[in-house]
Amino acid sequence: MKKRLLLPILIGVSFTSMPLLAQETMAFGPLPKVKVDTAKAELGKRLFFDKRLSGNASLACASCHQPESGFSYPAPLAPAYTGSKGFRNVPSLINTSLKEVWFHDGRLGTNLNDVTREMITEDWLMNMDMRLMQERIKQDPIYVAMFKKAGYGEPSNGSVRKAIPEYLKTLTSSKAPYDKGELSAQAKQGLELFKGKAGCTACHNGPLLSDGMAYNTGVKENLDIFLDPERHETFIAFNMFMGNENYMNLKRDVGAHVQSHKIDGSDMGKFVTPSLRELKQTAPYMHNGTIASLADVVAFYNQGGGQDSNKDSRLKPLNLTQQEELALVAFLESLSAEPLTSEAHVWTKNDYQYQATKNWLKAKN
Amino acid sequence: MKTSHTFFIRMRLSLLAGAAAFGSSFALADQPMPEFDAQVEAKRAAQAEAVSARLSPIVLGDKSYLPLAPLGAVPTPLDNPTTAAKVALGKLLFFDGRLGGDESTPCVACHLPNTGWDFPTDLSLGYPNTIHWRNSQTLINSAYYSKLFWAGSSNSLEAQARSAAKGSVAGNGEDDLMEARLAVVPEYVESFRQIFGDHYPKISNAWKAIGAFERTLNQTDTPLDNYLLGDKSALTAQQLKGKKLFEGKANCIACHNGALASDEKYYNIGVPTNKRWEKEALAQITFRYELYAKGSNEEQYRTAKADPGVYFRGKRADMKGKFRTPSLRYTKYTAPYMHNGTIETLADVIDFYNKGGISKDGRTSGFVKTKSKLIKPLNLNRAEKADLLAFLGSFSGDKLVMDYPAIPESKPLFTKQALLEAIK
Repeated sequence: MKKRLLLPILIGVSFTSMPLLAQETMAFGPLPKVKVDTAKAELGKRLFFDKRLSGNASLACASCHQPESGFSYPAPLAPAYTGSKGFRNVPSLINTSLKEVWFHDGRLGTNLNDVTREMITEDWLMNMDMRLMQERIKQDPIYVAMFKKAGYGEPSNGSVRKAIPEYLKTLTSSKAPYDKGELSAQAKQGLELFKGKAGCTACHNGPLLSDGMAYNTGVKENLDIFLDPERHETFIAFNMFMGNENYMNLKRDVGAHVQSHKIDGSDMGKFVTPSLRELKQTAPYMHNGTIASLADVVAFYNQGGGQDSNKDSRLKPLNLTQQEELALVAFLESLSAEPLTSEAHVWTKNDYQYQATKNWLKAKN
Repeated sequence: MKTSHTFFIRMRLSLLAGAAAFGSSFALADQPMPEFDAQVEAKRAAQAEAVSARLSPIVLGDKSYLPLAPLGAVPTPLDNPTTAAKVALGKLLFFDGRLGGDESTPCVACHLPNTGWDFPTDLSLGYPNTIHWRNSQTLINSAYYSKLFWAGSSNSLEAQARSAAKGSVAGNGEDDLMEARLAVVPEYVESFRQIFGDHYPKISNAWKAIGAFERTLNQTDTPLDNYLLGDKSALTAQQLKGKKLFEGKANCIACHNGALASDEKYYNIGVPTNKRWEKEALAQITFRYELYAKGSNEEQYRTAKADPGVYFRGKRADMKGKFRTPSLRYTKYTAPYMHNGTIETLADVIDFYNKGGISKDGRTSGFVKTKSKLIKPLNLNRAEKADLLAFLGSFSGDKLVMDYPAIPESKPLFTKQALLEAIK
């Protein structure tokens, strides 16, 4: 796993052949261009907004990854499938196709095909038997035509897991002030602090401003996870499923421990560095949504992070002045564009319908 | 949070099953399900078994069949003895939506206590946004089966409960989440600890508790039982004429024999497909899903239009369209009939057999090759059919009903103080 986690850094710097010095200053962008197959992405878009991809047809991908919130969710902790409640903050899907590691705990490091499967089938997420999903999709003539047009032939769950990632490739940052070279004087000062005194680049580097590695920064626990039984039971089920010992007595989110399972527990409470792009759309912050604003995030790091015996030793008080904190916030805000809420990114038609097969006794299934 | 469970389930079911299923205005014959009493039950079973031992087999031509008999002791697995505490726990779990995917499909969702302990539509209620593809069967006396489900795919009530709670078009639940839900209910934690010695509830023991509860859902005092136990006035003259036809001209006894009135073997009796598959999108989705999920080759997946039944268990062509003989007990309250609910009344069932396994609209099984040779026109006249119908009525006693229990609440496992003091 560790080897995999290193990949994002390599990719982050290898797409350009500029000299080293230029690389350093440009290390946060621009993002590499992604080639998208339009027909497949269009199909993926319709699927992404379709509630019938969940067991009881109550949740679409977009129910938690909401376009107007940067394809994340505007609450500290995620909603979940009926009967459950989430125990982490919903990560933004903007630029997710450029990532190499997914989920706050980095438990999947393969591809978005696997991530899509996990989200659709997990009992507390969409709780869908993909064999049933496939038959649902085959009962919708619009899908039958779209799968064909996309070159997938007959609808299948395998193609769903390709089409949704293809759509996710269209969710990219491109028009942030930072990318357009339109930084205010204050944001420019923030950028210098970011690279220098504040030391943010130690983890937030590369085009996504994330190294894809997991660290413990001492973010406090979100006690709602444990005090609301409906969240706690979801948390218990997850930890049981991930093979964590003593899951009934856990009083903390173990984070990347689900990957490394270190016997001394030194990997407890590590979470993957998030991208800093589109932050204006995705409050609240941190893996459990416990920090409400970017100003609070900066203040959190300025005091040297939180309390934790496993906390990364590089986190120390930064001694930023109030003016410097504001400059950093201005830089962070310059990494955000407007929400991706137009028809280019949102399936706006309410055309989700099943149609009974005519002449069923004679028709081929 | 959980207090709304029962209310929600009731709302959903009352819309589907009709308001008659609830409330206090039960018909006169409605009886609350008797409380489980091991001693009373042991005495009753011993008497019934003594009587059964003296009954002679029914001989028809060169065939000999087990006679209809009073029900003896409830078969109970050695690893799951029935105790009053376990039955009480199983009852709560039976009504608790936590054992399912979205908490709207507890066992009781498809086995309604006040309408026959089954579901009153042809195809059973499916998981939300699905339709099931078979008829829900009554739980009354289900403990006496050695094969559960229409295709006999479970061999115990425990296994049946588990499969139903997890099936994608039934309960759609997953072990880890169902188990976690039980862990935050102090009342369950205490009960599982006392009954099974679990530190926290184990999901496998939830199925055991439900199985134990279901083993108490029996009816052993039907007119037929009482007659066989020696009360010669328990059957009317017409019912006795019907019994003679049942064991003779109509040949029902060939499959519906023994105390359960089922030989638990598999037959294709000619039940036609459910027409809803021809018209309803959700039914078509489920039909294809079942073909796919239960394992079909491509040809079967593309072309099958009838339920292959027990075929899925052995994958032999001669098994297609066969289903396990159901008991005739409690059928007064379990309409509609057959594995796909396509026959509405018991009178229609008799007509169906009298025509040799042909339905009212002239259709028969989608698998004509496997149709049982036992099924042929019976030449019963109107009076004989009426006699047989009267006799079928003797397989059912009072309607057994049950009030919905209050479902225990979830509570936080830790205090805020304990969480704040936890060392990170």
